[in-house]
Amino acid sequence: MNQACGIRLARVRSGNRLHMFLLAGAAGPSRRSPRVCLLRKLSFLLLLLLGTNPPAQAADSLVRYEASHQAMGTVFTVVVYGSNRVYLEEVASQVFQEIDQLDDQMSNYKPESELSSINREAARHAVIVEPGLFRLIQDSLQYSRDSGGDFDITVGPLMKAWGFFRGRGRLPSKPELGQALKRIGYERIKLDAAARTIRFDDPGIEIDLGAIAKGYAVDQAVKILRDNGIRQALVSSGTSSLYALGSPPGETGWKISVRNPLDQSKAVCVLRLQNLSLSVSGDYEKFFKLGGKTYAHIMDPHTGMPVENMLSTAVVSPSATDSDALSTSFFVEGPSRARDYLKLHPNLTAILYLPAASGHAFKQIVLKSSLTRLPADAFVSTACH
Amino acid sequence: MKNKKEVTRRDFLKTAAVVVAAGSAKPMAAASPAILSDPSPGSTVHYGFIGTGTEGCSLLKQLTTIPEGRCIATCDIYPPNLKRGVETIGSNPQTYTGGPTNLSLSNSSDYRRMLERKDMDAVLIATPLNRHAQMIIDSLNAGKHVFVEKTMYFKEEEGDQIRKAAEANSKQVVQIGLQRRSSVLYNVAMQMIRKGALGKVMFVRAQWHRNNNWRRPVRDPKLERLINWRMYREYSGGLMAELASHQVDIANWAFGEEPLSVVGTGGIDYWKDGREVCDNIEVIFKYTGGRKMLYSSILYNEHLGFDEQIMGDQGTLIITIGKGMYYREAVAKVSSGPAKENWWAGATVSQAAAQKGMPIFPEEARGEDKGFVDREVLYAKRWLASMGIYEYEEPHDPKWSELSNFMASIRDGKPIACPIETGMADARAVIYGNRAVDTGNTVLWPAKAA
Repeated sequence: MNQACGIRLARVRSGNRLHMFLLAGAAGPSRRSPRVCLLRKLSFLLLLLLGTNPPAQAADSLVRYEASHQAMGTVFTVVVYGSNRVYLEEVASQVFQEIDQLDDQMSNYKPESELSSINREAARHAVIVEPGLFRLIQDSLQYSRDSGGDFDITVGPLMKAWGFFRGRGRLPSKPELGQALKRIGYERIKLDAAARTIRFDDPGIEIDLGAIAKGYAVDQAVKILRDNGIRQALVSSGTSSLYALGSPPGETGWKISVRNPLDQSKAVCVLRLQNLSLSVSGDYEKFFKLGGKTYAHIMDPHTGMPVENMLSTAVVSPSATDSDALSTSFFVEGPSRARDYLKLHPNLTAILYLPAASGHAFKQIVLKSSLTRLPADAFVSTACH
Repeated sequence: MKNKKEVTRRDFLKTAAVVVAAGSAKPMAAASPAILSDPSPGSTVHYGFIGTGTEGCSLLKQLTTIPEGRCIATCDIYPPNLKRGVETIGSNPQTYTGGPTNLSLSNSSDYRRMLERKDMDAVLIATPLNRHAQMIIDSLNAGKHVFVEKTMYFKEEEGDQIRKAAEANSKQVVQIGLQRRSSVLYNVAMQMIRKGALGKVMFVRAQWHRNNNWRRPVRDPKLERLINWRMYREYSGGLMAELASHQVDIANWAFGEEPLSVVGTGGIDYWKDGREVCDNIEVIFKYTGGRKMLYSSILYNEHLGFDEQIMGDQGTLIITIGKGMYYREAVAKVSSGPAKENWWAGATVSQAAAQKGMPIFPEEARGEDKGFVDREVLYAKRWLASMGIYEYEEPHDPKWSELSNFMASIRDGKPIACPIETGMADARAVIYGNRAVDTGNTVLWPAKAA
């Protein structure tokens, strides 16, 4: 932090990039000379504008290549290590191309997507589904069954009623909420595995893969990286789902800091991961405030209301699809049922942040699967406050 | 520029901001010669104005609020325009007219008589294009400073004739009316390019699209060529001279050089009403290093309006008078050897902020859903502006600025915002561009081809 020039800079280091976020405008008396301050501020503005360093020529055989790409309403970032810059660039391009294709297929914001087509037609007749999407919907229904409906891909009408679809949120009326709740229920989705078709029991049903598709995209990205011989990489979808492939050169595990749900400039837990994924759900990026009350975007499908007794959840799993879905599921379920889930499902670590009793910022609960048999090349360490 | 220590939010939102500190972004051509001659600093520049038609009166209107100059004479061969000019400037100038109301060069009307006035320091010229060169030369030889509307001249050979007259009268100011050169916004854009915000700038795309016949109403058919001189090749360079000239100059400015060559096409394809100049032109100017400008001007669709899109491998500027947006490219970072990896995990970050461009004037984003960085940049600009070290607005209409600058160059020796070299480069692009359209051939810049 630097407050001497009247601005506060939060330095967030990721990889070899130094992200600096200006936290406040003019504030506080300056202890430095105005000229020094001016230069610092101009430098800051230019840093914001330029953002990047000029491309460096690889001086030795090890090249680090990092690129970002917008898709699925967020920004995907890939960093890969290898020996050939052009090859790494081509592999990263292939990853982004795959993510774009998944976005085009699974977006409920795009009327031409396969998912939108299913949502329009599956109540009228059985619709044949592409195998990858079919498996993802199968998996989603399994998460729903396992969580007793706390994870539910038919939550779309609720997101619309609360204004989180194409909007910034609003308070729905009771009749609106009632109508939305009537249209929710994963069990009304009928899959025919032999025919690979989907059908809705009710015309109001629609699928929203927002709680699982980004994790699935990360897994598909990692598959492409592995298929192309990449052994050291990290994939992040908007910071909420990451996969650590191998470890950075000379290290054991990729260092990943989980944001404090109450102060996102601070880390609340630092993990080192190798060949594992981490997903985080939180109520601090998408919410609205009304009458002094905060309404976040993660819904309890049973009540139709935003979940209130959870701040953030983080889940470590060998699969990013798994960790993405479970971070949402545990956010809705709470610690008791998350604990029950972990008794039955191996190789998971869950960290839950709950609103605290008076005197504390939040309560942290770390849970692990009863059974852990990670592959030999996987590694996890957690250092939580 | 405001010098207050504190700027209220309302003040701030009313006022446009720029991204780069104005200390390095003054709307001046730094390479221009500083000229100081009569009248002396602090005195009033007495000027005559030739050509008080639509564009002329637009300039006269700006001049009414520039006290450093006083209009003592106006000249036009068309009496209604002469009357309009007098009414617009309101300074009771002496008027010069007479002679037949035609535009041929042999009709010198009374402007030469006007130039004989010893109490006149400067002349401003806003006549049809075919009259520019002779009027500039005559004015210079009469000892006057000259402001001439773009395009600077009509025929290729006129450039050197003007240059010689200017060199023979080197203490006099010659300024060309390419007002974007006097715009703070455009100067900031050029600073952003020079400082690398766009990376390697390879391409400029620009257009000026209208959906009308580009004519002025004519009551008496005998006055058609006088009123609608832009339609006729004897006087006019058409869309290239009247519209593209502003925008080719932006490409020249962004690339820091003149083109090497131009190819193009065009035609009278929609408004077949007896006009002689194209109602559409489509041209590509090629610069060194494979850099290009793609340009179109059409008169049958105005959806895209007019602007310039300057594209580098790290960003894009979309800019026009009063409005500018900056968009960053997603650029990969490449380094050698291991880096200290430290990644963050948290709730999904929205792409909304990343998708939107950054307005050079922040008020454009008012009312929209601004992202975190947008908001904080806005605060930073506000703070810098409040310190008085940061131009954060287009303080005047660029036409006002260019005219004010003209007076300041004469009185105070300030650098000329758009000097003769800039005007000549622009005129060459217009002339060669039209030649490419007319012939279908690739036209090379002789100096560069040599």
